[in-house]
Amino acid sequence: MINRITDLVLKFPKTVLIIILIITAFFTFQIYENARLETNLDKYKPADHPKFVASEEYEDLFGISDSIIVAVANNSSENGIYNPETLKKIDKISRALEKLPEVARGDVKSLATVDNIKSSDFGLEVDPLYQKLPENEAEILQLKKEVETNKMINGRIVSKTGNSALIMAELKDEEIDRLKLYQKVKEIVEPYRGGSENIYIAGQPVVEGTLAHLMPQDMKKMIPIVIFVIILVLFLTLHSFKSTLLTVLVVLFSTIWAFGLMSYFEIPVYAVSTMIPVMLIALGVADGIHLLSHLNQEIKAQPDRDKLDLIKEMQQKLWKPVVMTSVTTAAGFLSLLTSDVLPIRYFGLFTAAGVMSAMFFSLIMIPAGLKVIGLPVLKLKNDKNKKADQKFFHGLSKFVREKRKVIVVLTIIITVMAVYGASKIWIDSSMLNKFSEDEEIVKADHFINNNFGGTTQLNLIFKAEENGVFKDPKYLKDIWKLQNQLEKRDLIGTTYSLNDYLRRINKVMNENQEEFNQIPDSRELVAQYLLLYSMSGDPEDLDRLIDYDYRQLHVQISLKTDRSQEIKSIIAEIEDFAAHTSLDKFEVDFAGSAYTNMIFTGLILDGQILSLAISLIGVFFLLSLLFKSFTAGLIGVLPIAVTAAVNFGLMGGLGVSLNTTTALISSIAVGMGIDYAIHLLSRYQYYGIRGFSKVEAADKAINLSGRAITFNALVVIAGFMVLTFSKFPPNRELGWLVSNALFVSLVGTLTLVVALIDIIEPKFIFNRRKDDQK
Amino acid sequence: MRNKIIFTGVILLVLITAFGTALAADLSGEEIMKKVYNRETGDSRTANLKMILVNKQGSKRIREIKQFEKDFGEVDKKIMFFISPADVRNTSFMNWSYDSEQSDDQWIFLPALNKVKRISSENKSDYFMGSDFTYDDLGDRTLAEDEHKLIGEDTIHDKEVYVVENIPVAEDDLYSRTVTYVWKDKWIGLKKEFYDREGELLKVLTVNEVKEISGILTIVDSEMHNLQNEHRTILKNSEVEYNTSIDANLFSERMMKRGIQ
Repeated sequence: MINRITDLVLKFPKTVLIIILIITAFFTFQIYENARLETNLDKYKPADHPKFVASEEYEDLFGISDSIIVAVANNSSENGIYNPETLKKIDKISRALEKLPEVARGDVKSLATVDNIKSSDFGLEVDPLYQKLPENEAEILQLKKEVETNKMINGRIVSKTGNSALIMAELKDEEIDRLKLYQKVKEIVEPYRGGSENIYIAGQPVVEGTLAHLMPQDMKKMIPIVIFVIILVLFLTLHSFKSTLLTVLVVLFSTIWAFGLMSYFEIPVYAVSTMIPVMLIALGVADGIHLLSHLNQEIKAQPDRDKLDLIKEMQQKLWKPVVMTSVTTAAGFLSLLTSDVLPIRYFGLFTAAGVMSAMFFSLIMIPAGLKVIGLPVLKLKNDKNKKADQKFFHGLSKFVREKRKVIVVLTIIITVMAVYGASKIWIDSSMLNKFSEDEEIVKADHFINNNFGGTTQLNLIFKAEENGVFKDPKYLKDIWKLQNQLEKRDLIGTTYSLNDYLRRINKVMNENQEEFNQIPDSRELVAQYLLLYSMSGDPEDLDRLIDYDYRQLHVQISLKTDRSQEIKSIIAEIEDFAAHTSLDKFEVDFAGSAYTNMIFTGLILDGQILSLAISLIGVFFLLSLLFKSFTAGLIGVLPIAVTAAVNFGLMGGLGVSLNTTTALISSIAVGMGIDYAIHLLSRYQYYGIRGFSKVEAADKAINLSGRAITFNALVVIAGFMVLTFSKFPPNRELGWLVSNALFVSLVGTLTLVVALIDIIEPKFIFNRRKDDQK
Repeated sequence: MRNKIIFTGVILLVLITAFGTALAADLSGEEIMKKVYNRETGDSRTANLKMILVNKQGSKRIREIKQFEKDFGEVDKKIMFFISPADVRNTSFMNWSYDSEQSDDQWIFLPALNKVKRISSENKSDYFMGSDFTYDDLGDRTLAEDEHKLIGEDTIHDKEVYVVENIPVAEDDLYSRTVTYVWKDKWIGLKKEFYDREGELLKVLTVNEVKEISGILTIVDSEMHNLQNEHRTILKNSEVEYNTSIDANLFSERMMKRGIQ
């Protein structure tokens, strides 16, 4: 069958190439036409997961949505923000944000808009802090006094020092390009920069939008360099411009096909999708290297043979390992279809598609290309080099066989250490952690966290069985205690609930006496205050904190971090508090993007671990099937398992958190490990079956297939080391983690596999020889 | 001669028809709305009011109120006593609305606090008690605050109506325009649409039931639907009485405290 295909390809090489080019052009067009970057993290989350469903319901009920936060700071004026110029800027920015179509109407909170609950000659008054922007000293002093005496504003909207003020704009619950929005806000703010004020822009939407774009942007910059380095190293190993070109085209075209298919089906590009080219670069060069380095050896061995014959022989000898490695790798990625997370499923599916197209290009485009542009022209002079690396591989096989026990023991020690390291690994859904410290966003975030409650919001909801429960002071007071206890944590800035309103109203209704700054003692008074507020204030304010039936109560918690560890610890503290107070009869729920991001990351990792387990088992059976031996499966799967363990172990040991991208790196370990194992084992078997001794078989396998594996790994490692110079921290991590995985996988295959075969003398390699001897 | 008579007759007929049409057409939007604003609604009125707020999720808040209202010429006084829910029973609310520019005076009595407090009412476009009605919508608006234009005729539940467009004079009004469907000859609105400042339909007021009580046409069941936040308010009146002899002393802080017993 492969002969027929090869004949056909070699008969019409130009037609084949043109067809491939047309399809590739079509996919390129698809990418330009349809590719759309998904910047809204909510779109990544499985909508039908119970925790997301619950969170979505609460978000809807209480109008919880992410806010863009603008901080205006004035440290040069002795009165801080309390001067006409700064107040005017705050007012103008606030009004401009209100007009943004992405901002929910009336949902900008700032000095200019916030309701001030105060006592007046009238009794209770709920009004904006000012009707007309304060300009003269007396008006400004009055404003300052009102802010400083209102705890619902002081420390929340104006910093306690009076040096900065916030403008918070809540987004509508609809499709919003978060990066565009960030740019719009930047434009709004721009005219007000300069002067004595510093202006900062922060908030979840800004972080999400920037992050969604930063990674692909950085990739766009880095990947050409990666490819350049790979071309360079490929050229050094293949000694041929033609071979290098064909190999790189395989990678390039398979990436275009994978993305083209995605765009054709109108699947948006998620942040994880940027890992697809990473995987295809790592995996796609392998087939080319194996085919072409084999060809090189044959050209050198039989320089006078016919070109077509050489190509045909290459195809005939190598199509099996190429197909086997590709199919098994693709199967490994398809195991990601078990994930709950849609973007991960797409990632698995389209990486698999890319791997299969890389196989197709290797077996079709390489021969066609060779026919058209001619065989690689090799200088047959570098005998010295050849001898040097032959010496190295001979030495290696000798070394491995002599130290086989040491290798096994060492592997066990490393694995144990790695497992210990992996136990220290921590999961992090933090997005801010992905930025360098000197990014504008990080600085803005630090500023707001230092001066205000915090940029991350956790939404806590108590849910009772019966209606009207949360008018009862008994429960409200316990919730207030909880609020106080939480605010003692370093990383919690402020909490906000119905209690804050009730305390304020109570104080104001009792002639501003501080001892009434507390929750009213009777249910009736609570109910009557709420009714009062609905008459004189904006009752929608309360709809954000309590539901219509007084059955679900919402507490907003502002955090100074979005790290999963902290959020988990807060949740544990809340649940513990609730369990030991009157709140124990209520359901304790959480909502909001910080919370769902955390749950989401957990889901991804669970999925990752499951798919890793599935793919290890899958690899075991596939290898067992291919070599008709469970021993082969076991020997092949061990270096992969070790690689995965070392990968996680290093992350745990070095404090690299597990997140959506780093978790995917184990997929590379599996994909590469399979390839290496298949190549080495099949070569081993080839010589074993043909009656070579243990020593000879090992030496030949390492010299032929070990060499190709090494070149392959070195090419890709060199490429990925480029990423360690990226400006974007997650890409740096990616760079060295992938390099490390490839390195461990390579060393594991060359040492552990050979050592184990030497010790076990498995039947699938050596038994025929014994039969022959009989 | 005969021809002359016929001719005169025809002329007269034409004139009468033209005049008659002119008479009807002469009724401008302004005049229609004037009739609506000036419709006889009695000098005083007592009623039981049931206010049902329904939010997007379909949850309801139901309040029952006993309401007294009396026109004192320059000032229109209103007092409300809450009957239910139980925890706000006897909370009372008093509103004095003046014909002059002066803003309303408002008081509230909270029995649990045992204090009468004044509350400010600067903004007539505030929503009343979390309902979808602003103070304006509930009748604080005057004819001169809008420019009125007759834009067509229609029928609502077999009742013939004028369709009048009202455009606020003030530029910062809550609405960019409203459209009132006025029942012909009865001069009562049967439907009203409210458009927000961006020109989007914000709310629709529908009258579900109109009753004639003591000769006065009275809306006893109406619903305001906010289409943008999917919130609804249903107002139901019962035991409506007009021109009862309400004691002027009822509209006092003392009576607010005493409650309806």
